[in-house]
Amino acid sequence: MTRHLFLRATLALGLSLGAGSLSLAPACGNELEQPDQTIGLNEVKGGRLLFKTNQPGRYLPAPTLKTEVRISVTGLIARATVSQEFLNPSPDKNSWTEGIYVFPLPETAAVDHLRMKIGERIIEGQIKEKAEAKKVYEQAKQEGKRTSLVEQERPNIFTTSVANIGPGERITVEIEYQETIRYDQGAFSLRFPMVVGPRYIPGTAVAMEDQPPGNGWSLDTDRVPDASRITPPVQHPAHTLINPINPVSPINPVSLSIDLAPGFPLGKLESPYHQILTIAEPDGRQHLTLREDTVPADRDFVLTWKPAHGQAPTVSVFREQRGNDQYAFLMAMPPVGSDHQPTAVARETIFVIDTSGSMSGTSIEQAKAALLLALNRLTSQDRFNVIQFNSVTHVLFSQAQPVKPETLRKAVHYVEQLKANGGTEILPALKMALKGSAPTSLLRQVIFLTDGQVGNEDELFEIIRTQLGTSRLFTIGIGSAPNSHFMRKAAEFGRGTFTHIGSTSEVQAQMDAIFRKLERPVLTDLRIEGLDGQIEMFPARIPDLYEGEPVVVVLKGPALPETVTIQGMIGSAPWTTSITLKNHEPREGLSVYWARQKVAALMDQQRYGQDETATKQAVLDVALAHHLVSKYTSLVAVDVTPVRPLDKTLQAHAMKTNLPDGQDYQAIFGLPQTATSGQLQILLGLATLLAARVTWAVRASRKRVA
Amino acid sequence: MNPIRPTPRTLTALTTYLLVIGMWQLGEGSWIYAKAGLAQHLLQRAWSRTLAGETGVKPWPWADTWPVARLIVPSQNIDQIVLEGAYGRTLAFGPGHVESAQPIGSSGTIILTGHRDTHFRFLQRLERNDVIELEAPTGIRRRYRVKETRIADSRSASIGIEQDQPQLVLVTCYPFDSPMPGTVWRYVVITEGEPG
Repeated sequence: MTRHLFLRATLALGLSLGAGSLSLAPACGNELEQPDQTIGLNEVKGGRLLFKTNQPGRYLPAPTLKTEVRISVTGLIARATVSQEFLNPSPDKNSWTEGIYVFPLPETAAVDHLRMKIGERIIEGQIKEKAEAKKVYEQAKQEGKRTSLVEQERPNIFTTSVANIGPGERITVEIEYQETIRYDQGAFSLRFPMVVGPRYIPGTAVAMEDQPPGNGWSLDTDRVPDASRITPPVQHPAHTLINPINPVSPINPVSLSIDLAPGFPLGKLESPYHQILTIAEPDGRQHLTLREDTVPADRDFVLTWKPAHGQAPTVSVFREQRGNDQYAFLMAMPPVGSDHQPTAVARETIFVIDTSGSMSGTSIEQAKAALLLALNRLTSQDRFNVIQFNSVTHVLFSQAQPVKPETLRKAVHYVEQLKANGGTEILPALKMALKGSAPTSLLRQVIFLTDGQVGNEDELFEIIRTQLGTSRLFTIGIGSAPNSHFMRKAAEFGRGTFTHIGSTSEVQAQMDAIFRKLERPVLTDLRIEGLDGQIEMFPARIPDLYEGEPVVVVLKGPALPETVTIQGMIGSAPWTTSITLKNHEPREGLSVYWARQKVAALMDQQRYGQDETATKQAVLDVALAHHLVSKYTSLVAVDVTPVRPLDKTLQAHAMKTNLPDGQDYQAIFGLPQTATSGQLQILLGLATLLAARVTWAVRASRKRVA
Repeated sequence: MNPIRPTPRTLTALTTYLLVIGMWQLGEGSWIYAKAGLAQHLLQRAWSRTLAGETGVKPWPWADTWPVARLIVPSQNIDQIVLEGAYGRTLAFGPGHVESAQPIGSSGTIILTGHRDTHFRFLQRLERNDVIELEAPTGIRRRYRVKETRIADSRSASIGIEQDQPQLVLVTCYPFDSPMPGTVWRYVVITEGEPG
């Protein structure tokens, strides 16, 4: 009886759904016919593409952008070429376009080349001081010349602007950057970020007199003065269905190919988030492409590889001579073995978990799973606490508690109840986590699980720097596109490490590795002997190493010594190793790597309180000499021949970026579920009562017959 | 003729069983409506205290939400207290303010959402140019006029968030009279703020 009612109700609903979809279909049809007309918000029907223009209340469909990425990896250095093809799809002769695209690069990327391709012609970009480059670009733009500009907004967020794309015309902007391969736990990894996640922008909106607003979804605020430049409009996930340019392709499709020359026999090669095709060359090199031609830019690409068993390098050295300077890059693995293994130390662990809206979707599920695993690993000698934050900060215990069945049970319940919602006010949570102090016998570790989608990085670094005390801060990046610049730097200031967990299936393995690591610091007090005063080394101070981490340094000087000695402590026993710098094959790009490290170090010094003008001059010296894009330098290319008739005006378009995969659109702009089961329950209740009446009647008639 | 001939005992048991289930469902269902009505009563009191200057006033001691606005629709005799947050647990008591859009009292796009069969049932009767008023905790009321109503697919539709144009968007589930919860359709009422 009840099941029948269910069936009938479902049928009725099915019919009403059918009617609904019919009424929406013509609306989509109209949009396809007029792809490049501005529209008002209220003309928006289901699944319409939206993004803002400078004109309040009017929206423009974006020109499409195709990105091609080619990466070549030799040993520990990767060189990448990113080609972005801008297309002005407008058939209207008067529609000249300026395209602005915000895109992420790895946080250690050193961008040193810009090429603008128009048909067969290639125009090389020049490195200039940021303001000057901007002026060159603006002037060329006014004069109707094709021009492009690459600027750094954050160490891991860049913008490319292209002016004077004619109707129906394509321009390819190619940028080249270099980065180093990460080596940890015996595995090498390369990460190519594909999407700028929507960042939480704290503070109140302000208008800057001296700075025109960018095209992002956020206005500049007092705490994030460049907010409008780092918040590209967000692409709606369902947009792929009705893209007016190409009905099947996702916006900003990316194609990717990698040439990998690892320098040792490969044991394992893996791309955890994308399907890839691999072709091995006879000399051990690998050629990789995505299995699909192009993929939507909605999650970061990661490639990891491991050497065949017993083939792991223990020491790698590369050298380069550039001008009068010598550069050397060296990596050394500390010994790993049971006799060196120090025992687990007692710890006070403070877990901080981000439950802001940007974590909703799979991110919060991963974070919860990670936290539950972490709680499970605590031992009876430890103390712990759990802090969650979104718009407000909430603490489980008023102070850290010893690990006991009651406290642990409370914590597990607490974690299971966590829900993602609201803003990302990290500051109070960070202060709270760093505030407490552990007894000296305990190692105090703060473990921060977040996607780091914040814009006020500098403010947070300052807090970490000044309030760290004896604590160590470990950041764990969750989700498909965490802000790894923030998390890596935060861990650096916090004298801990940063780990990225990109998919739910990795949580268990990665968390296990992290906690094994945290329980056992391997090498402390590291320094390098044998360097004279003229040699500049980065990092200037080598951080503590945990299990599976190598020592990585880069040196520059007029004359490098033949051998250097690395010294440190394993537990309480001293450890030394000597490395020969002579007779190593030369490798290009070390100078760029060195320069990038130097710029990063200079920027950090500013955070430590150095005066901005001094920093700026120092950064300019390095960046201009090495052709590097930085906070103070940009690359600009100008085509000398004017193409846009000067009586035609230019429209500015911001390129949309996709939402990171797994991030929930509904939680950001969407519509919640708003039907109760009240009516259904009342109907079911009445129906069941009716059924009771019928059975009662049947029973009565039986009795009479009997 | 009939192969199954249940004994009177089974029939009694069945009848009792159906009676219990029926009463339970009826009770649960009615409780949803009762809760929706009762809560608003308590919320009105919390709202007066909010207007008096208190912040985050909990309408009952164990509540995890608080009133953030008062929604008034003169033509429909609607006077409801809006709660912070749009989750299942708050929507049972009143319409919810979607936190990810603009805050109450701002002059941007404010999104409110409510259950189609309780608080926001009146949305289906709203017509173009109907007046809706929203009172902020500061006591300031802003008038909005209905500009458009439409039905959207929640899987693909989006609402653009304006920063500097006053707009109030009311969202509920659709169709209104379907007894089944969990539909993908939404009824969206878009209103525009009157200047001033």
